[in-house]
Amino acid sequence: MSLDFIIYLIINTAFILLIAPLFAGLIRKVKAWTQGRQGPPVLQQYYNLAKLFRKEIIYSPHASWIMRATPLVNMAAIMVAALFVPLVFVPEPVGGIGNIILFLYLLALARFFMALAGLDAGSSFGGMGSSREMSIAAIIEPTTIIVFAALAIVFKSFNIFVMFASSAATGALTTPTIILIGISLFIILIVETSRIPVDNPETHLELTMIHEGMILEQTGRNLALMELSAAVKLTLLMALMINLIIPAGLAVTLTAAGIFIAAILFILKGSLLAVIIGLFESSMAKKRFFQLPSLFAMAFFFSTLIIIIEVFA
Amino acid sequence: MTSSKGSTTGWIADIFEPVIPADGVRQGQGGEVYLPIGSTDFARTVTQLASHQFTLIGLVGIEGFGQGPGTSLLYIFEKLEHILILIADGDGTLPSIAKVFPSASWFERECRDGFGVEFKDAFDTRRLFLHETYPDNFHPLKKSFANAPITPKKDVTPADEYPFRKVSGDGVYQVPVGPVHAGIIEPGHFRFSVIGETIFNLEVRMFYKHRGIEKLAEGKETGQCLAVAEAVSGDESVANTTAFCMAAEQIAGVTVPERAWYIRTILLEMERITSHLGDQGGMLVDVGFPLGANQFSVLREDMMRQNAVFTGSRFLRGMIRIGGVVRDMPNEDLEFLASFLSMFRKRYQVGLKIVLSTTSVIDRFATTGVISRSLIQPLALSGPVARASGSTGDTRIQHPYGLYDRYRPAVRTLHDGDVLARFTVKAAEIVASLDLIEQLIKEMPAGPVVTDVAVRNGHSLALVESARGQNLCWLQVRNGRIERYKVRTASFCNWQAIGHAVLENILPDFPVINKSMNLSYAGTDL
Repeated sequence: MSLDFIIYLIINTAFILLIAPLFAGLIRKVKAWTQGRQGPPVLQQYYNLAKLFRKEIIYSPHASWIMRATPLVNMAAIMVAALFVPLVFVPEPVGGIGNIILFLYLLALARFFMALAGLDAGSSFGGMGSSREMSIAAIIEPTTIIVFAALAIVFKSFNIFVMFASSAATGALTTPTIILIGISLFIILIVETSRIPVDNPETHLELTMIHEGMILEQTGRNLALMELSAAVKLTLLMALMINLIIPAGLAVTLTAAGIFIAAILFILKGSLLAVIIGLFESSMAKKRFFQLPSLFAMAFFFSTLIIIIEVFA
Repeated sequence: MTSSKGSTTGWIADIFEPVIPADGVRQGQGGEVYLPIGSTDFARTVTQLASHQFTLIGLVGIEGFGQGPGTSLLYIFEKLEHILILIADGDGTLPSIAKVFPSASWFERECRDGFGVEFKDAFDTRRLFLHETYPDNFHPLKKSFANAPITPKKDVTPADEYPFRKVSGDGVYQVPVGPVHAGIIEPGHFRFSVIGETIFNLEVRMFYKHRGIEKLAEGKETGQCLAVAEAVSGDESVANTTAFCMAAEQIAGVTVPERAWYIRTILLEMERITSHLGDQGGMLVDVGFPLGANQFSVLREDMMRQNAVFTGSRFLRGMIRIGGVVRDMPNEDLEFLASFLSMFRKRYQVGLKIVLSTTSVIDRFATTGVISRSLIQPLALSGPVARASGSTGDTRIQHPYGLYDRYRPAVRTLHDGDVLARFTVKAAEIVASLDLIEQLIKEMPAGPVVTDVAVRNGHSLALVESARGQNLCWLQVRNGRIERYKVRTASFCNWQAIGHAVLENILPDFPVINKSMNLSYAGTDL
């Protein structure tokens, strides 16, 4: 393992933890603006986390060790996944780090424990959230695999580092596949981060909840970890999209100036994407639960199209 | 009600002769027809009424209304413009009529709790508004019970617990929701039985906020009771107070000045607009479309601020009084209201267009929570809920009160019975109310707004159309004081439709179905 890689691990982890709550806050702000409201400050997510980390944890008397372990397992899985997605600097890949299939299943591991914890506390809403989350997971997983397969075919690698390096080298994809990949990745982003039209992160109605239902019984520091890991996951999926489609400025050599510029550019591009997500969410109502597969089918269709184009064209 | 005067006994004779002698028929002060009936003729009469498509819209228990001190039961039936009230003795010999008129089930359970009246062969004898912790043999509406704090039961054994319907089978889950909910809403318990996400049984348990309003009114002078009537249900204050005043005015035999009715009608329609706006916003929140929801919640807030400017109360309280209204609305205020409403109308149309052109919203609303037309008569459904399912009923048209015989509101009837139909009916009613208010402002006459009302003994029934549907108010005054005050809001009946509306829908759609029906918890639980 080179020194470059160790520096990468430190920079990437620190940077994602630092900026993750920003995008979630920005999306919320944009949604508030579209509704003609002021909305909470963009930095509200940071304040919330700071507050929650100081609060005590309360466990339901029915809860087992799963409830205690889940926030840590969840955060750990997401943070390992975060090592797979370079935000600002792409080093040479080392071992399996950066493998896109492993990345997918690290997210699945986090989701699995979250669903278990939803059931564990014995509240009816948690169980409903878990059951819905696993239904969606089962349907979206093949789609995600196809999307990633399309990526692998386009970039001729399963490694995210290699994909980023090659897109950074070519500047940006200039073929129509860029649009198709963009749409597919965007749909996966919406589904994986439980946003409208799949789930409503701002709802108070327990009966309609998916992600929020699963973490209803989480409190204090544990809740902070769940919230932070959700924000990191959002940022990861945004980074996947940004660095594949508009990689301009992404550093491939380790220089302070290069990383600084890449970081600034990443925040700008991320903010732009957050605004787009906010507008997208505002433009429609949540879908009826059993009609969600039609949304996934779109991502599936476009990725299949990419594979056909890339293999036969 | 005026229309039925003159040929009172004609339609009664058509129904009963030659089967049942309809002697003893008399007409009440509000145009309603009273018919005392013995327990031997009771069952036959009820069957006869059912075959003539009457609807049971209320059941009032009163002590000392007949010859003896016992409890009399007043069964209130409605068919188009006719109101027929059967008076029977609640001495335990009457059969339950819930199998003929399903709306009777809650009515009978309510009377059983309040007065201890038993009904023979009733299929549901669970307590209704008295929960487990109320003492045994406690019947608060009996005159022998003085209004005072009671000692609740300390220990509730499992045998005393409210028995919900048991549902079992492979993959069947019960999902208990409430009575404490997220957000700022009233308490109610929902017991869902689901397979996966699909609901196949819902049992609603209400009455977590019993305030003893009917008991509270007893012994008060009618004028003191306005605040009680306003408290029945917050956003139906004007409707319930108007009904109360109408009943009191009918008893006293006074005519309310013309201008007072103009102001009352404006307030009634403003209340309807405010209430419908809240529903429409809520329905959009519940399908996760806050952009659309805010169009309506902003308008609702503006409307409530206007309410406060005109009446000093965001809920339009403190304006209606017996004999008229508390104060006149100056013409400048009315002109300002007219200009506010014309702005309001434009903004409302913009909001409506945004929502109705969003396909994802239509997709969630259409075919969700269908209420079948066949439920309307058995459950005595009314208001937008009934009109979205094919009913043409509207108290303002069938029993016109105040100015509604001259200013007939446009009634919109749809037939789909789903959330979209209820949304659309409410939108049409907001526009109709705006039209009505603008016309009223234009044509308002000058004159006094209140008349003196002498206290007289008697009883009367008043019906009004609140935003939620038909509200019924029964008032009896004896020795200048209220002997009995009974309110039955539209929600009391409409609540019973929700168990049907949610069937075969999925759990995440329950909030929007519930919101589209706009059921009041307080109005149900007096």
